[in-house]
Amino acid sequence: MRGAAADIQTDLTAIAGDGSASIEPDACAAYAVDGVTPSCVLSPATPEQAAELLLSVADRGLAVIPCGNGTKLGIGAPPQRYDAALSLRELNRTTYYEPDDLVVSVEPGMTLGVLQQMLAGRGLWLPLDPAGGERATIGGILAANSAGPLRMRYGGPRDMVLGMKIATADGKIVKTGGRVVKNVAGYDLAKLVIGSHGTLGVIVEATFKLYPRIATRATWAIEIDSLDAGREFRRRLLASPLRPMRAVLLNASARTLVQSANREVTGSRRMMIWIEAGGSASVIARYERELSGLAAHMNASLKPAGNSEDAEVWKGLADFGNRLASQRHTAVVLRAALPIAATEEFLKRAEQHGRVEGLEVAGVAQLGVGAVEIGLSSIPSPEQRVPNPTNVEKLRRLAADLGGSLIVTHCPVELKPRIDVWGPRGDDYETMRRLKEAWDPSFILARGRMIGAFESGRAMT
Amino acid sequence: MLYEYDALSSRRVPDAVVFPETTAEVSAIVKLAASAGLPVIARGAGTGLSGGAVVIEGGLVVSLARMKKILEIDIENERARVQPGVVNYDVSLAVADFGYCYVPDPSSQKACTIGGNVAENSGGPHTLCAGVTTNHVLGLEVVLPDGSVIHTGASHWDRPGYDLTGLMVGSEGTLGIVTEITVRLTRLPEAVKTLLAVYDRVSDATATVAAVTARGITPAALEMMDGFMLRAIEAATHAGYPLDAAAVLLLEIEGLKEEVEETSFELEAVATENHARSVRTARSAEERDLLWRGRKNAFGAIGRLAPNYYVQDGVIPRTRLVQMLDYIGEVEQRFGLHIGNIFHAGDGNLHPLILFDGRDPEQRKRVVQAAEAIMTRCVELGGSITGEHGVGIEKNELMPLIFSEDDLEMMRRIKSVFNPQALLNPGKVMPSGKVCGELRIQVN
Repeated sequence: MRGAAADIQTDLTAIAGDGSASIEPDACAAYAVDGVTPSCVLSPATPEQAAELLLSVADRGLAVIPCGNGTKLGIGAPPQRYDAALSLRELNRTTYYEPDDLVVSVEPGMTLGVLQQMLAGRGLWLPLDPAGGERATIGGILAANSAGPLRMRYGGPRDMVLGMKIATADGKIVKTGGRVVKNVAGYDLAKLVIGSHGTLGVIVEATFKLYPRIATRATWAIEIDSLDAGREFRRRLLASPLRPMRAVLLNASARTLVQSANREVTGSRRMMIWIEAGGSASVIARYERELSGLAAHMNASLKPAGNSEDAEVWKGLADFGNRLASQRHTAVVLRAALPIAATEEFLKRAEQHGRVEGLEVAGVAQLGVGAVEIGLSSIPSPEQRVPNPTNVEKLRRLAADLGGSLIVTHCPVELKPRIDVWGPRGDDYETMRRLKEAWDPSFILARGRMIGAFESGRAMT
Repeated sequence: MLYEYDALSSRRVPDAVVFPETTAEVSAIVKLAASAGLPVIARGAGTGLSGGAVVIEGGLVVSLARMKKILEIDIENERARVQPGVVNYDVSLAVADFGYCYVPDPSSQKACTIGGNVAENSGGPHTLCAGVTTNHVLGLEVVLPDGSVIHTGASHWDRPGYDLTGLMVGSEGTLGIVTEITVRLTRLPEAVKTLLAVYDRVSDATATVAAVTARGITPAALEMMDGFMLRAIEAATHAGYPLDAAAVLLLEIEGLKEEVEETSFELEAVATENHARSVRTARSAEERDLLWRGRKNAFGAIGRLAPNYYVQDGVIPRTRLVQMLDYIGEVEQRFGLHIGNIFHAGDGNLHPLILFDGRDPEQRKRVVQAAEAIMTRCVELGGSITGEHGVGIEKNELMPLIFSEDDLEMMRRIKSVFNPQALLNPGKVMPSGKVCGELRIQVN
């Protein structure tokens, strides 16, 4: 195996230049996906190099997985073939920045944290709070279309991308969209690539529309007794004139997890709603007034969060899945996409299911978005037993009954082959499969990772 | 015959026009056409501005005008399910009592259909802060050219799989026929304020737009009209626009009362700093409606001034507005034509209106040259050839101005997955490769 790997490395180094390909076992191990370790790590320094590498990978009948910082690499079926990691961390430059026009273009390896810092210098920001938080790379956020609770107010990554450059499986760099805020020329290839988890092409540059930084932001907490109260709050909130930046509901287990790094761990079995709004002093005052009124309806009270606590909570939420998976090696993390009104009901049914099956269910519901993240782990000895894979199917059925769907974002390596990450195919599956075939005929990109693994592809080995 | 036209002129006549009422009927029609090798052109209200529904080589026109039911309104989930023939404005009307609206609002919103909006990825003045059609569509039912029916997206965000909904929106009827649409509904704001800033110099108006963007103020809408347009509109609509101004900005802000109040002060200050002669706030809903009616009826008003006009749809970075308007002025002089400027200034989406007499072939030639010059400059400034009207048959030969052969090849691969025989809306969007960079102008 090492011999073949060395051959590959020799081939690829010739193209990539010295230092941009590595077969060091440690380097390779860092890029393992679902227990599969690549033989080689390729680190292109330019978009052109990335495209050339893809071409040579295709020529040799190999398969790669594009990688950033790996905060969302757990999403997907186990790779059917994985020879080389295509690390995009070194592709991390700003290629265009027009602050007065609220437009920026960056390469995929830039982290969200670095980008936000640069933007803050000109009073701007990108209103995204994806899984992985500031460590997440732009390429990874887009590949996973990873949106957090800010989506309620601002939309998700797919709504902020104005244009993109994509390295294709046949070694080309193609452009879609542009650097203007409105553009309908040609098919919107960016939409297709966003959320395709690296299976269609490699994002080598993305252009975003930017937003003015909010002058003052405030976070409040409301402790509640039941999911019914949570539902009532969400209904009243969405029917009010308020437009908060984000709002989440954490059940008791999730609350403990997210706040465990925080000073205030009460061990309370109650749920918590966190809500953030921004604007001028008078706008913040208005929110405080109205949210107090909403809380009073549920016999609860509104507590302002301090500035540091504020940051901690939202950071903790972005890390929810990764933290759970690293703290409890047996945990399975799921993400349900649901109609807005089904959010609390899904969480309620998931908790019921957990009680019956003896599983701890930590749940975070993004209010007004329709997304619920669920962490499943065994009680009473969370370190021992891996949840039975049938639990995933049962929760998936609960989501489907409420008009939604569910994917697995984190799960123990040994469980992965027995779990359906993506769920049932729709009647548009064949079209998706054919698109994959049209863009990546040799299946060199993240082979087998997305939706039914595209196993009928002719180039499968 | 009416079906020879959308807004773009063409002399070809369809072989037949059909009016299906159900998805099954659309599927059956498409299958029949496929077996006969006939092109199929889907059509909504025919308000398109790039010839997307024009018949080029004959074939079957599938009018979706009778598929006009609002199938479901689901306020708690902030969505509605509609058939493609539903008129844009009717969606907002149907949900207004619940305090909601459907955001994209093209000027033709009282006539154009949601199906057409999806095909073109339509915009409108209020898409500045809230996004265009693609940001407001959750899922679609689509009839593919072989008659099969697929469902893309869902009635909520994030269905696993490729975002085929995002690909379909704006594909101008070349990938499938959309037979059902799930749209997102948006809560109406608590407060709205509309301001009219009046300028003696066009450059002061464009400088205001740049300053508003640079200061990080995001109005709900930011429209600009030059003096020529103002006078034309005022004669037709009596919207209360000043007749002697060089330009006006129509600014709208919405949100909480407090936000709107504060932002309106800020906007007034920015306008005044940039030498606005006056800034007027609409005092009533009627006054606001009147200001907007003028804007939305602008194209119609121009019809009174010349036998024909041609409207463009280029986009530029907002920092280049001053330069671009100067250039349009030069073009006006060079080709001896009247060009009115009315546009979504906040987006950098220009709509120069070129006036002419379509009966005069020499004038038509000059119009094409002027239009090509303007579009080329948009691209040179880092912009695009179309912001919201689509490519259609108007600009498909200009696609190489902004896309390389490799870019276009990836688009062709997508088209061949959906529409391998090219029977669906043939000749649109993608360049034919037969001619080089030729703009086909619309005669209105």
